[in-house]
Amino acid sequence: MATKQITKLFAAMVLAGVASHSFAADTIKIGIAGPKTGPVTQYGDMQFTGAKQAIADINAKGGVDVDGKKLLLEAKEYDDACDPKQAVAVANKIVNDGVKFVVGHLCSSSTQPPSDIYEDEGIIMITPAATAPEITARGYKNIFRTIGLDSAQGPAAGNYIADHVKPKVVAVLHDKQQYGEGIATAVKQTLENKGVKVAVFEGVNAGDKDFAAVIAKLKQANVDFVYYGGYHPELGLILRQAKEKGLNAKFMGPEGVGNDSISQIAQGASEGLLVTLPQAFDQQPENKALVAKFVADKKDPTGPFVFPAYTAVEVIAQGIEQAKSEDTAKVAKAIHDGTFKTPMGDLSFDDKGDLKNFKFVVYEWHFGKPKTEVSPQ
Amino acid sequence: MPDIYHFFQMLVNGLNVGSTYALIAIGYTMVYGIIGMINFAHGEVYMIGSYIAFIAIAGLTMMGLDSVPLLLTGAFIASIVVTSAYGYSIERVAYRPLRGSNRLIPLISAIGMSIFLQNMVLLSQDSKDKSIPNLIPGGFTFGPGGASEVVVSYMQIVVFVVTLLAMLGLTLFISRSRLGRACRACAEDMKMANLLGINTNNVIALTFVIGAALAAVAAVLISVQYGVINPGSGFLVGLKAFTAAVLGGIGSIPGAMLGGLVLGVAEAFGADIFGDQYKDVVAFGLLVLVLLFRPTGILGRPEIEKV
Repeated sequence: MATKQITKLFAAMVLAGVASHSFAADTIKIGIAGPKTGPVTQYGDMQFTGAKQAIADINAKGGVDVDGKKLLLEAKEYDDACDPKQAVAVANKIVNDGVKFVVGHLCSSSTQPPSDIYEDEGIIMITPAATAPEITARGYKNIFRTIGLDSAQGPAAGNYIADHVKPKVVAVLHDKQQYGEGIATAVKQTLENKGVKVAVFEGVNAGDKDFAAVIAKLKQANVDFVYYGGYHPELGLILRQAKEKGLNAKFMGPEGVGNDSISQIAQGASEGLLVTLPQAFDQQPENKALVAKFVADKKDPTGPFVFPAYTAVEVIAQGIEQAKSEDTAKVAKAIHDGTFKTPMGDLSFDDKGDLKNFKFVVYEWHFGKPKTEVSPQ
Repeated sequence: MPDIYHFFQMLVNGLNVGSTYALIAIGYTMVYGIIGMINFAHGEVYMIGSYIAFIAIAGLTMMGLDSVPLLLTGAFIASIVVTSAYGYSIERVAYRPLRGSNRLIPLISAIGMSIFLQNMVLLSQDSKDKSIPNLIPGGFTFGPGGASEVVVSYMQIVVFVVTLLAMLGLTLFISRSRLGRACRACAEDMKMANLLGINTNNVIALTFVIGAALAAVAAVLISVQYGVINPGSGFLVGLKAFTAAVLGGIGSIPGAMLGGLVLGVAEAFGADIFGDQYKDVVAFGLLVLVLLFRPTGILGRPEIEKV
């Protein structure tokens, strides 16, 4: 008896699936792949928020014009948990689902392996968040990004330190991982090219809780400026312990430390922290209407990856319109050649698939108050 | 230049970390001393202790309590009670049914239990870091200031005092009380103790409860001092505490205390001399060195072949 019911139910589900499939035939599927679980879920949320809003906005205007025929966009969400192995499984599922356009992935380490699959299968991928230079350095035709590179962020931070902070004794720390050490090394090189000596260059253990030893060392070296390459959990603890130990230094970090959790962990010690971030597109006057839409949907438009994700969808849609086709080879060419009007400004891509002229801005963090922009315009 | 202030600062920091290692190491060493098994779920027990402390502090603050001693006492009581219950249940569910089987089987059960507990907390509390505000800010400063000063925070003093009291209490309990004597008897010879009318099952359960309670004490101290907890935090701390237990001589309670302190201080000086990135290398390198020359650890007695 029970088996019979289950069979019936299954049959109904299959039918429903077929039905919805036949409806979905004249939409363009956009895969959104990023972490919905795991330690960096909050960054994933930014990406999903931005991309889904863009799809809703484009559909509200009637969809994408493919050579005279209007097609709606359909969002398909995938969770890679920021895990390279799961990201490959997600990529294979995207291939099987017949999705031709992907917004994602988020973490550099879980973006690189899927990008191989997308390139082979002729799927266009635009990452709004992965910043490792390697991802676009392999001559791929279908891989793009709407965010800056680590190799650009390090020099931006280094120049700001040398030109505007002008500290006496500088220390550069990192978490020994691809992202953190890469940026820290770039900052160190930029500083040394500008004649600023780096007194301490050291790695700390990601996941560690006690940084008393390294703080004592900084104190002994009379360090008054610390750059940290890595993520917020470690820097939050370093800030908190540095304040307790009476280390009077200004701290700076990359966008991996730039979120609200850092103030929760560091408490008052996050006051005055400098962070390089992509420009706050939600603060710009021309995006007011769009920000209002996010707020009306009770979504947070302030995260650093919300607008890049929104823009990634826009670029795909405009690329399809300019190519007058859904064929990914033609769309990829259109994206490489064209210019796109987006909330991030008028964008164009270079041969590697990176944005031309992506700018990083320096922000100062405040405890219990919103961040303020400090970089000179 | 390693001046004297810097030296003392390192020593204070090392003893601070070391005392928390010591508290957790006792859980490993007591269980090993009595049933000869490594309880690999002990790190997760510590992690659960820190979540209970977080929930207790958050709950009490929400009820309008803002007196720091009361908050801390509340966190200690809640964490010790609940974590001890976990310790007891883990023994009951994962180890007691397997007692008497091959030695490797409870070990695998322990690893399974550890994965289970970690994921349970991950699913029920989500994976984001939880933060606890610094309840006791500030500290004493010695020395002329600038680079030559020693800062001892009030929280570090609380860690020393609480650890000392807990160790003293445990030592008195083991050496003076009836149950403590039963524990020692079981460690000496389980079968004989059983024949003489000691309920060995209860004694074994008791060691798990004591280990969990001390891990809970360490969890409250570490969580309040560093202010951040997450479901993965049990692994590294558990590994370090296990190292401390082996370093001091596994099975020996004074050994675990000493091992913890030695490991903490070695880490602090190692990080200072070789750089923070080599902290763990120094810690585990020390373990290898000690085991090469004294395979039973610093205070461990050579195993007597039981015939």
